[in-house]
Amino acid sequence: MKRATTKCATNSPANSDFSDTMPHIIKLLLLALLILLNPLTARTAEPEAPLRPVFAAYTVEYGTSHLADTYLTPLKYSGTHFGLDYTRYQAMKFSPEGWTMRLHGNLSVDKTDNPARNATMWSAMISLDWAMMHRWRPTSRLTLALGGETGIEAGAIYNARNGNNPASAKGAWTLSLTGYAAYRTSVGRLPVTLMYHPVLPVTGLFFAPDYGELYYEIYLGNHSGLVHPAWWGNRFKLDNLVTADLHFGATSLRIGYTGTIFSSRVNDIVTRRFTHAVTIGVSGEWLSFNPRRPISSDQRIINAIY
Amino acid sequence: MQKLLRLPALIATIVIASVLSSCHDIKEYADDPYGNFEALWTILDEHYCFFGEKDVDWNEVHEKYAARIGSEMTREELFIVCSDMLAELRDGHVNLSASFNTSYYREWWSAYPQNFSLRVIEDRYFNYNYRQTSGMMYGFLSDNIGYIYYPSFSQPSGEGNLDNVLYFLSSARGIIIDVRDNGGGSLTNVETLVARFITEPTIVGYISHKTGPGHSDFSEPRAITYRPAAAGRIRWGKPVVVLTNRSTFSAANNFASVMKHLPGVRIAGATTGGGSGMPYSSELPCGWGVRFSACSILDAARESTENGVDPSPDCAIDITPADIVAGRDPILDLAISLLSE
Repeated sequence: MKRATTKCATNSPANSDFSDTMPHIIKLLLLALLILLNPLTARTAEPEAPLRPVFAAYTVEYGTSHLADTYLTPLKYSGTHFGLDYTRYQAMKFSPEGWTMRLHGNLSVDKTDNPARNATMWSAMISLDWAMMHRWRPTSRLTLALGGETGIEAGAIYNARNGNNPASAKGAWTLSLTGYAAYRTSVGRLPVTLMYHPVLPVTGLFFAPDYGELYYEIYLGNHSGLVHPAWWGNRFKLDNLVTADLHFGATSLRIGYTGTIFSSRVNDIVTRRFTHAVTIGVSGEWLSFNPRRPISSDQRIINAIY
Repeated sequence: MQKLLRLPALIATIVIASVLSSCHDIKEYADDPYGNFEALWTILDEHYCFFGEKDVDWNEVHEKYAARIGSEMTREELFIVCSDMLAELRDGHVNLSASFNTSYYREWWSAYPQNFSLRVIEDRYFNYNYRQTSGMMYGFLSDNIGYIYYPSFSQPSGEGNLDNVLYFLSSARGIIIDVRDNGGGSLTNVETLVARFITEPTIVGYISHKTGPGHSDFSEPRAITYRPAAAGRIRWGKPVVVLTNRSTFSAANNFASVMKHLPGVRIAGATTGGGSGMPYSSELPCGWGVRFSACSILDAARESTENGVDPSPDCAIDITPADIVAGRDPILDLAISLLSE
């Protein structure tokens, strides 16, 4: 560049040397522009991005359920809870050491009976949540994480003995506090990871009909007042999950406890759902890679949980 | 280290908050005579929608019947007291259901003439020569009058069935829709039938629900709009007479109240049995079911029809036992004469 400038300053534009240099400058400028603008080229200049394996767990839940919904009945029902659960953790791309994310889906069915055992009430719920959490490692074995979650939940409680009010539809979008504590230990020579994972919705929106409003009226087109802002006073929920992952090899056995405390009161309708269940399934950490892009030996692997 | 301690403190706070906040009380009652009685009285107290129309002092009713409850009484005895208490509401939509009996307030129809004999119509007016489809009985009467007997709104009428019936009767100078002894069913079946008699979206009534446990906690009445049957379906534009009796109840009462406000429609016979409250279900600790009116439906003039829909002017008539013996149906005869004018 200096040479060209000097040449320009001291020679006429018609100088043949200038015409030789200009294409070279343009080439250099274009190259610089390409380096700046092309992220692919830019990445090649950076150190190899760390590998972020996925931790996934597939579990089934079986336990007890206590249901109440005063839209359907003033009585408290109790019975069985069954659920299917999927959880997926992965370190986040923008800050893999500091942040991790969780995708979680759950499908549950509760079958409960009234105290007199002559009526049955069902609950069917499905939920999907996504969370991102910042994590700390106070000791080499312990990881703590805290963050936020957003999720949707939909389902219904159905009481077979009722006529015009047979079901109480449930639906919510929530913003939650969440986190986990993971502790690595061993039982004999078997590595074990103990984990506690609570989810506490803080706010959001949820569906509820009016006190004596029948779904027939909603069907007729009265959709006013069905959506309510949620706070702990009118809708409280706490999900607790305690697990132990027994690392037998590439795949682990996950056993634990899962429980839900749910209580809402809106329009003088109280709904409660308490479940306690054992959970069992498989978990493991999987790394997918492209065979055309081999992993280099100095590439870091950042665990999804620890 | 301080930072480390903050997290357990936060978790503890969350757990405490969870315990405190989850206390959304549900009133509990013991499964004994007192508990079941109080549960029943409270369910009605908080949800029943016609205390005003019935002019019933529910607290007074409590005093009257609580005195009859004793801890040693049998389930049968408790059932009798509870049934008597519910009868104070004079509502055919109020029932108590146990495994051995279902209570039912019958005076809303038993205290009135029945005003209907299907056998007389089948025998003397059709000589058993009529058509039947989808629960409806239909055919031609004298003077080229069409007749449809619609015994229940519990069974849905298919659009195709209605097309066939109305097409068959299309040459009639008018039709009679007989909903006597029709005890009701689904309001969506009422809508399906009414849609054949309107040509534009029509406000057919209003619905109001309870907004809280107080006796006066009601929502603003909201219009119920029916749409005409879809293009291509057969609609009826000629005169109509709807026949009613005291056993025309619930959804059939609603049908009569809707049809009464349509042009070219008259109601003939006796005042209907009412039952304009949409019934709601609940239960007692002992497992008995209870059903009661919870959501009021008003007619197009915003009037309650809980006490029945009156016949159109000059169209009220009763059938005497002598008429039945003689094989006459004066209500049907009146309708034929109205349509023959």
